Amino acid sequence: MASITLNHVAKHFGNKVAISDIDMKVEDGEFLVLLGPSGCGKSTLLRMLAGLETATSGEIHVGGRRVDQLPPSARDMAFVFQSYALYPHMSVRRNIAFPLIMRQFKWWFHIPLLGGLAKRRIERSPAVSELVEKTARTLSLTEMLDRYPRTLSGGQRQRVALGRAMVRQPEVFLMDEPLSNLDAKLRSAMRAEITRLHQRVGGTFVYVTHDQVEAMTMGTRIALMRDGVIQQFGTPREIYTSPANTYVARFIGTPPMNLIEGRVDAGMIKLGEANLPLPQALAAAGREAGRDPVLLGIRPNALTLAASGGQGQLAGTVSLVEHVGAESVVAVKLSHAATAHDEEGAVAGEIMITTQGYSELKAGDPVSVVLDLSEAVLFSRSTGEQLRAGLALAA
Amino acid sequence: MRSPASHAVRMALIMVLLSAALFPIYWMVVTSLTSSANLFADRPQMLPDPSQAFNYAETFAKTSVLLWLRNSAIVAVGTMVLSILLAILPAYALSRFKFRGKGLLGFVLFATQMLPEAMLVVPLYAIFAKLLLLDTLGGLILANAAFTVPVITWILKGAIDGVPIEIEEAARIDGCSRIDIVLGIVLPVVAPTLAAASVIAFFHGWNEYVFAQTLVLSQELRTASVGLASFVGELSTPIHTVMAIGVMYTLPAVAFYLMVQRYVVAGMTAGSVKG
Amino acid sequence: MTDAAKLGTAMAGRSPRSGGRDRESRWTPYLFIAPVALYLAVFQGYPLLSEFVLSFTQTSLLAPQDARYVGLRNYRDLATSSDFASVLWITALYTVACVVCAIALGLGAALLLDRPFRGRGLARALVTVPWAAPPVAVATIFAWMLNAQYGIFNHVLKLMDFEIGYESWLDNPKLAMPAILFTTVWQIFPFASVVLLAALQGVSEEVREAATMDGADRLSVFKVAVWPTIQPTVALLALFVTIWSLRRFDLIWVMTQGGPIGATKTLVIELYTRGFVTRELGEAAAVGMIGLTIALVVTFVYFWYTQRTERAQGRR
Repeated sequence: MASITLNHVAKHFGNKVAISDIDMKVEDGEFLVLLGPSGCGKSTLLRMLAGLETATSGEIHVGGRRVDQLPPSARDMAFVFQSYALYPHMSVRRNIAFPLIMRQFKWWFHIPLLGGLAKRRIERSPAVSELVEKTARTLSLTEMLDRYPRTLSGGQRQRVALGRAMVRQPEVFLMDEPLSNLDAKLRSAMRAEITRLHQRVGGTFVYVTHDQVEAMTMGTRIALMRDGVIQQFGTPREIYTSPANTYVARFIGTPPMNLIEGRVDAGMIKLGEANLPLPQALAAAGREAGRDPVLLGIRPNALTLAASGGQGQLAGTVSLVEHVGAESVVAVKLSHAATAHDEEGAVAGEIMITTQGYSELKAGDPVSVVLDLSEAVLFSRSTGEQLRAGLALAA
Repeated sequence: MRSPASHAVRMALIMVLLSAALFPIYWMVVTSLTSSANLFADRPQMLPDPSQAFNYAETFAKTSVLLWLRNSAIVAVGTMVLSILLAILPAYALSRFKFRGKGLLGFVLFATQMLPEAMLVVPLYAIFAKLLLLDTLGGLILANAAFTVPVITWILKGAIDGVPIEIEEAARIDGCSRIDIVLGIVLPVVAPTLAAASVIAFFHGWNEYVFAQTLVLSQELRTASVGLASFVGELSTPIHTVMAIGVMYTLPAVAFYLMVQRYVVAGMTAGSVKG
Repeated sequence: MTDAAKLGTAMAGRSPRSGGRDRESRWTPYLFIAPVALYLAVFQGYPLLSEFVLSFTQTSLLAPQDARYVGLRNYRDLATSSDFASVLWITALYTVACVVCAIALGLGAALLLDRPFRGRGLARALVTVPWAAPPVAVATIFAWMLNAQYGIFNHVLKLMDFEIGYESWLDNPKLAMPAILFTTVWQIFPFASVVLLAALQGVSEEVREAATMDGADRLSVFKVAVWPTIQPTVALLALFVTIWSLRRFDLIWVMTQGGPIGATKTLVIELYTRGFVTRELGEAAAVGMIGLTIALVVTFVYFWYTQRTERAQGRR
């Protein structure tokens, strides 16, 4: 019942546009990841969903109910903060019970002593205490219920923050980079824990991160954002295999997708000196470009290295070899073909290739690159958009 | 790295410093426990004489010191409570809200620190006469808090600046209104600073002299500062009685201060080092 | 607000609990500051204003209803009075001496208590005791210690073989001001030392070590590593001590009432004397306005100076 619909949602801070005109529909039970570099507007979008920021224009509906003018507490959403935002003066038990206490809050709870007694009564009432205990058990926090946040480790604090969100049994969970303050090992453990939480409690999750690994592993849907605009909205697989534009192509994957300049002509693509036949689907897409230059997008693992030059291979020299354990990343400077590079500054004319095992290559070695075009994609060089064969086929 | 000699010099200097800081207080205690004969001896008595403790009993009997101390305590507690109550909301507003006139409010709060109390005595006297506050401890409290509220507002604002905004956002999502957040979340988090601010206001009320001297006329509403000052330059009361009153006025304050000084120092420096 | 947004707000208002409680308007900040603004207006703003008006009148404490407008006469009288010139001179002397002595002594104490040693916490607490003592009590005890015949001061001086005999500190026009100054500095240097101790926490150990590695002696290390860090705090302290010195009443009044023959008569003592001893409220108010102007000028100079240095050092 908790699908989320955004209609033309925009947010301006003065003259600055943080979010421009976003339309999106997230189905009930999805795990949506808002992915993008810092400053892309993903946190702002999340905070608008929560009601911590008001949308400049547009509508937000949750489960058919319009919420964009409701205060945060009336939206039936839970929010997990990057800094956890635990209440330092309350025990773990009180932190988790707090949203439930607030549901029965009366103004006279502010009176010292009297209010304290009333709050404790609510906290100890069977309905509340059972829910708190159950939540704590789920998150293995039972032993820590009477401790205070400052005595907990980072991972434990994170779990308390999750508990405070879970106990409300909301329709929507919102999370703002909840793992970024944890060390690498703990982070992957908590990643799995949140995924399990999603499977167990259900509900719709919206999760903000700048970490593509979190996005790929946790999300059922990813919205990749840049400068307040959604670049692509799709499943992790779609985003990986069929990036909507060169920005998405370069953002996802380590090392990122190679973009080699070329021209399509009669089912063949000409990359520098080499001329390669395109698979049928790509050839159809290539026709959309006509005589315009295109960019061939190909993942580093679809490339292999051969010792000597052959038909349909790209000649080059090794410029750098990095050993990452199970595989090696080889940077090759192409002799004839040019490559596109993004603002992160890949060196012009260089492509990245991953090879299994420990590569014996050294910088300066001449090599020949073999391309497997079965999973490659084509982009228009002028617009950066992916070329797809005919609208009918794409739909 | 440091030589033992330089360490010894340093410790010696520290001992000199502490003696200088504490000697006057010590001397007040000694004098209050000196017999009338020894007060005017050629060689002053350097140690307190416990057999002179009856001097305190006499002081209670001959002077209204207990009444004065009670009045001072009422004024101090009243000043403390009133200043805290008044300072909480503006401190929060200065820290968290953006609004027109914020800079002006900040300036006004700072500017009050430049007004000498003695300067406002006359117009306050006129206002108090109109509002029937003259010759009441309540009036004294109102006059004193006007000077402590600005300081306390600044100190509390500094502390609230340090509370992460995410905690407030979490509370909003959990269903707190703004006033719930101020009273239920922010105040408990800044409790140590609140304690420091309370102590500062308490001391202001306890120490205050000009208003207590001028705005209160009846003998039975005198505070200890006025009572003690009335003996200076007056020759009929023996000096050990005056010093006994001084001890009773000073030592509770100093003892209270030493108990809470960690908080006070934290609160005081939080306001001043940041500037 | 768009129509849709208005509708939304109306809906939020209708939702039973959360909507009503959570909603905030642009007036909320003013609601928060209203009580304190009203309070300060009544007990500071209005008195200040009436003091300003009073300074242009001739008003007697005995018959305030007979106030007579005299224009700038009170100010003119003060400007031409040599007594008032000496009040200004004494105030300036007292203020500058307080600033220099309290900060110097406070800095010395802070440096002594900065590095760890056994009992440092206790020493830091005890050194602040003078600050906690009520000023009237301080005045009383110092008046007794400085007593000409039986005071411990003269006794110690005699033991140390000074040939001065029994100085009557507070009755001697040459000695009264130094005695008041001594008492004041004893009371306020702990504040300076506590604040400077906190500032010393900000001194970078690495810069200190780098200076030592470069072969700097202790004084040079202080100059390059310590002083730049604490300098803004010292400036702020100087402002505080200045304003307090201009305001200080109780200590001086109880010890000397501005005497002997005006030797310790600062602005505030002069103000109080004119108001409550000679009972000329108009004149007293004029003295007060001059004092306030001086305090304001000092504050503006301070802010101008700190902003200039901060800009020069690229801190803003």
